[in-house]
Amino acid sequence: MEDPLYDAEMQHSDDSRILVVDDLRSSRMLIGAVLAAAGFSNIEYASDGVEAMAKIRESSPDLLVLDIMMPNMDGFEVCRRVRTDLGLDIPILVQSGIQEAEERVRVFDEGATDLVSKPINASELISRVRVHVEHRRLLSSLRQYQSRMEEELRTAEAMQISLLKTDEEASAITNPRGAKIVSHYQPSNKLGGDLWQIFPIDEDRFGLLEVDLSGHGVTAAINAFRLHMLIESLTEDRDNPAKWLGDLASNLYKILPVEHFATAFYAVFDKRTQMLEFASGAAPAPVVLRQNGEHEALDASGMLLGCSDDTVYEARSVQLNEGDRVLLYSDALVEDFKDMDKSLSEDDVAEISKKILAGRDITDFPARIIEKVFEDPSEIMRDDLTIILMEVS
Amino acid sequence: MEYRIDTQGERAVIKIQGVLTFDDHEKFKGVVKSITGDDAKQIEINLAETKMIDSAGIGMLLLANDKAKKVGKTVQLSGVTGHVAKVVELSKVDQLIPII
Repeated sequence: MEDPLYDAEMQHSDDSRILVVDDLRSSRMLIGAVLAAAGFSNIEYASDGVEAMAKIRESSPDLLVLDIMMPNMDGFEVCRRVRTDLGLDIPILVQSGIQEAEERVRVFDEGATDLVSKPINASELISRVRVHVEHRRLLSSLRQYQSRMEEELRTAEAMQISLLKTDEEASAITNPRGAKIVSHYQPSNKLGGDLWQIFPIDEDRFGLLEVDLSGHGVTAAINAFRLHMLIESLTEDRDNPAKWLGDLASNLYKILPVEHFATAFYAVFDKRTQMLEFASGAAPAPVVLRQNGEHEALDASGMLLGCSDDTVYEARSVQLNEGDRVLLYSDALVEDFKDMDKSLSEDDVAEISKKILAGRDITDFPARIIEKVFEDPSEIMRDDLTIILMEVS
Repeated sequence: MEYRIDTQGERAVIKIQGVLTFDDHEKFKGVVKSITGDDAKQIEINLAETKMIDSAGIGMLLLANDKAKKVGKTVQLSGVTGHVAKVVELSKVDQLIPII
């Protein structure tokens, strides 16, 4: 950040590059002397539009003081070329003797930032130059700040995505344990609070977890990192979904602020019995798509995680069979806040999924359901979106 | 969202209208402030005219409940129907904030 005293010191010395363009040497010298007396120490001159353009091309000044009536190339043309050809947004302060309102309007239409009348009034010129130079300085510092923030958010996003398993990594765990997995994760506004994880439990079983932290953006993402560490550290009772989810909830209660919480679904699949044991805290109800075309929504009700340190979760289970599929998703897939009647029910999700999956393998399922559900792709960015489809093989 | 507060002695009823979502975070601070600032000891948050609530909205209710508890007041939810009822049922918020 800039020193707060910077501005005060600059009252006396300002090295902003100012290009003074005027065909009359006496005018150039007068303007230059006025600006130099006001503390501007970096002034250059051009005697017509052509010379001015050459200097601007070489290196863009911080401000242009521009005459209109000049031989070779007039001030209108310079304005136009600076804006259109060079695409520069530097302040252009036109100094002109033009009195007609129409012509004065044209000056602005061509891209001038401001206008001072000839003959030059020294204090007016100084005030206007200062205003525009300061404005430009603030603007450029804001832009720098914004681009740095964007850069940092991109880094954070990459870090967050690196927490998640790729389909290959997930398959390496689930394939030998009797199931195939495809997934999709897309954070909202660059950073999100959704997290999913798969861990091997033993040779026959794996655990599948989907968590959605409240809120989104930076806060939710930071909490997602903390949650990730917490999940990694809770290695006991991973084969007992209700117990494990209760432990996760108590630990989240310790780290989350009171208004933050999470919804979660945790399931353990056993390839020997093809049983899916699960526990849930207010997660969107996963949908089981049976091989025979029937479907059912799992009971995913349960206390939010992180609101209380002694939450007990109900142990539930569902018998799966070869070819059955289980779809997990975050609420972003089904909620429509603009028009709540358009929000999808579990049955809607099941029917859409069945159509997509008819006679196909599951590989491109996430992309296809997104295409089907979100007519307007920008809507997807409203909230974090996670989609996980598991198939019993 | 919009809200209206009617205080009668020990009891205040706060009516929340419209949707209660992430975007209402700033506005909801006003609700929390009046809960802790007013004289009423019993707060009823009426959601009869709340069309929709998201996870952040649930978080705000939990926050209001927490702040109230800290200054020795109680919060109850009322008028829980429709979409709000579904979310409340799914998340078992009723185990944290009593529903009347």
